[in-house]
Amino acid sequence: MAHPRLTPRVQRRAALAASGWVALAATALPGGSPARWIPVLAFVVLAPGLALLLPQPLGLRPGARLEALALAAPVSLSVATLVATTLFLAKAFSLTVFLVVLALFVSVVAALPGVPLPAATRGAVERDGARPSRTRTLRFRVPPFRKRGTGGGG
Amino acid sequence: MQRQGPAPVTGSDVPPRPAAADREAEDREARERAAGERDAGERDAGGQEAAGREAAGLRIPGPEAGAARPDGEDGRTGGSTAARGRLAAALRSPDALNLVPLLVAGALWLWALPGIDFRSMDEFGLLDRFPLTFYAALAVLTCGFVITLRRAGTAPLWPATYCAAMLVALKAPPAILYDTVRYAWASKHDAIISRLLDQGTVHPGTELSGGMSAYDQWPGFFSLDAALVRAFGVDAAASFINWAPVALGLLTVPVLILVYRTFSDDWRLVWTGVWIFQLANWVGQDYLSPQGFSYLLYLTVFAVVVRHFVLPGSAGPLRDRATLDPAAAAVPPPTTTRQRAVAVLFLVPVIATINASHQLTPVMLCASLFALCLTRRYRNLGLLAVSGLIMLVWNLTMGRELFLDTLGTLREKAGDLLGNSRPGFAGDPTGPGPELVGSANILMVLALGGLAAAAVLLRRRLVRSALPLLLAAAAPLPMFAVNDYGGEMIFRVYLFGLPGAAFFAAAALVPAAGAASRAATIARRTATVALPLTLVAMLAGFLPSYYGKEGMHYAPPGETALTRRAFDRAPEGALILAATGAFADSYYRYDHYERWFFTEQEVDENLRMLKDPAGYLAGGIPAGRPAYVILTPTQGEAVIGEGYLPEGGFDRLGKALKASPLFAVVEESRYGLVLRYRPTTTG
Repeated sequence: MAHPRLTPRVQRRAALAASGWVALAATALPGGSPARWIPVLAFVVLAPGLALLLPQPLGLRPGARLEALALAAPVSLSVATLVATTLFLAKAFSLTVFLVVLALFVSVVAALPGVPLPAATRGAVERDGARPSRTRTLRFRVPPFRKRGTGGGG
Repeated sequence: MQRQGPAPVTGSDVPPRPAAADREAEDREARERAAGERDAGERDAGGQEAAGREAAGLRIPGPEAGAARPDGEDGRTGGSTAARGRLAAALRSPDALNLVPLLVAGALWLWALPGIDFRSMDEFGLLDRFPLTFYAALAVLTCGFVITLRRAGTAPLWPATYCAAMLVALKAPPAILYDTVRYAWASKHDAIISRLLDQGTVHPGTELSGGMSAYDQWPGFFSLDAALVRAFGVDAAASFINWAPVALGLLTVPVLILVYRTFSDDWRLVWTGVWIFQLANWVGQDYLSPQGFSYLLYLTVFAVVVRHFVLPGSAGPLRDRATLDPAAAAVPPPTTTRQRAVAVLFLVPVIATINASHQLTPVMLCASLFALCLTRRYRNLGLLAVSGLIMLVWNLTMGRELFLDTLGTLREKAGDLLGNSRPGFAGDPTGPGPELVGSANILMVLALGGLAAAAVLLRRRLVRSALPLLLAAAAPLPMFAVNDYGGEMIFRVYLFGLPGAAFFAAAALVPAAGAASRAATIARRTATVALPLTLVAMLAGFLPSYYGKEGMHYAPPGETALTRRAFDRAPEGALILAATGAFADSYYRYDHYERWFFTEQEVDENLRMLKDPAGYLAGGIPAGRPAYVILTPTQGEAVIGEGYLPEGGFDRLGKALKASPLFAVVEESRYGLVLRYRPTTTG
């Protein structure tokens, strides 16, 4: 098997996986300093959602990228909220535990494929019952019902 | 500005054809041709361009639209302009035209910022404290936004930038300027977060006065904030709390765009809808609050549902350009049961977070999902069942106490439509400032409702394809029949109806670009005038609605210090009296005291109280209970703004209590008055 190449996709996944640990390290900095809260905020608000949603199969409908970006923050905040709430309910909250759980989550999920949001993939309907398409052949196939062609993204 | 092409363009890059079937075939062919010519990356960007190009602004491109533009009309210079000087070309480019208003507005806004005299607010809140340059900046931004709409399809980043700029321009001033927490309810949430951090857990079964135990029963949002406070290494949420409206706005807009893009291919309509949403969102639910956060998540669920939950075979003619409004988008591709099940799993954490954070939003979510089930397209009973189940499980476990209480009151409140739709408890606001706010609120609702209704009546074909949005907007209305939600129901119903209302209001202002009939031409010409005028009018309505009562939302540091001193002085378990809870730090260390906000009741009762305030209050204090009264200038603003007391009533109250032997002055300054109850003198 060939060595994994550092393609942009792999780099993005690695950066996502690392972001949690960077955020955790940043908490060693003095409280309130921008070098601390900016990476922490960016991680909590974006990383879990992006890790869940990316990478998507090739040949997405236009607008799928907007979708991943728009959903990343609400999904991330949901995951962070559930983790924090669970920790508080279990009387086990500490900053380190909170960030370690989130960082572990992001590290694992970043290595997996993105959640297949069906309508974002080209030719969603043709794949009835089939695996989510990752083949390039579907890239330029336009579903017959679709009138918008390149102007999709709805 | 208008330039009619020889044939109206409604599709992406192909002129309309007489028959739908022919069109479809050619459409596909043309697209496949185009697809072969471009690489994937270009296709993505090009797709967005084409998406809006069909609707590009008030000018309609001719059939050449799909071909490469030779002369750099969109700012990307072509061969024919190569000879010209680059600077001159850049200055003439549409990008420069878009950039200049933004820079001018930014300069005016920055210039105005230090001049906002928020420390001396009077009855008009910030309205007469904003310098003229501030208003000028907002007007320039509005004009700039309208200009960017002309090329909204080809350069969607410009309207996006203007929307973000408007959000910051409107909502950032308090975050930048204020030295205390803005808004009493935000400071209450700050107190809840501090307590959570202090105790390290929640006590859903413990009863706290003033309904405060509800926050332990729905602790999701506060847990997140508490975690952020620790992660940022700050003392309390107060250090970032004032930025919540900006942050929530920036996170909400992309989700809103997703929703609107599902129903319209016309970028002008999408951005105008977003703009109107921002201006019509004056109800002030965007502070650091569970409802503001849950609202973002509600929109997220809605966006995923309308995009990924279309049932197979349900679209019918709604994918046929001939039957669609020129601005409408075809129904998204259908999904299989398995795909929808995956999407439900994806949504479960979001729905669970909504349920862990807020009481009302899950009900609104279920109402919206139920309304969507009324359409054949989105009849997803599984998702509705999952949402209902999560809500039920939370309500019967963590939220059991309040849930059962609310069920108990349903019997008396159900059916009282008028009572449940009444805002607040009290009478009409008194004084010119609050009256102006009241009128502005009503005018805003009427303008938005009128525009949306006009679009619903005039653009029937758009309504057919965007029916889910309309149904979701109407779904919260039956809530009036159920509960008043502490006088808040009317605002919440408005808020949840807003995405749909803003979309259709925009549809009334942005006529379809494609139609070539005489009526359509007249509509487009009217819109070139009506659109900027309406946006300016809505801006004029937003400002009093959002900032007209700002006097009750800002408390100087001296006042919050006085309040905290008063609480700290009171012994554990003391009763703290205040005219209203709408003042900063009114819930400071709330689990140590009981509070009585004595004017938050019917006006008649308050008038009776004003006849003998000391006797009235003494009559309500339990025997043997230490009691303190805190009266601050912010409360004075609030009781007038909310209409609890007549003008001058608050001053009379303070004087009467000071003069009474039942109360001793503990502290008095321009920041407020603190009195201690002296029961021994009553004999």
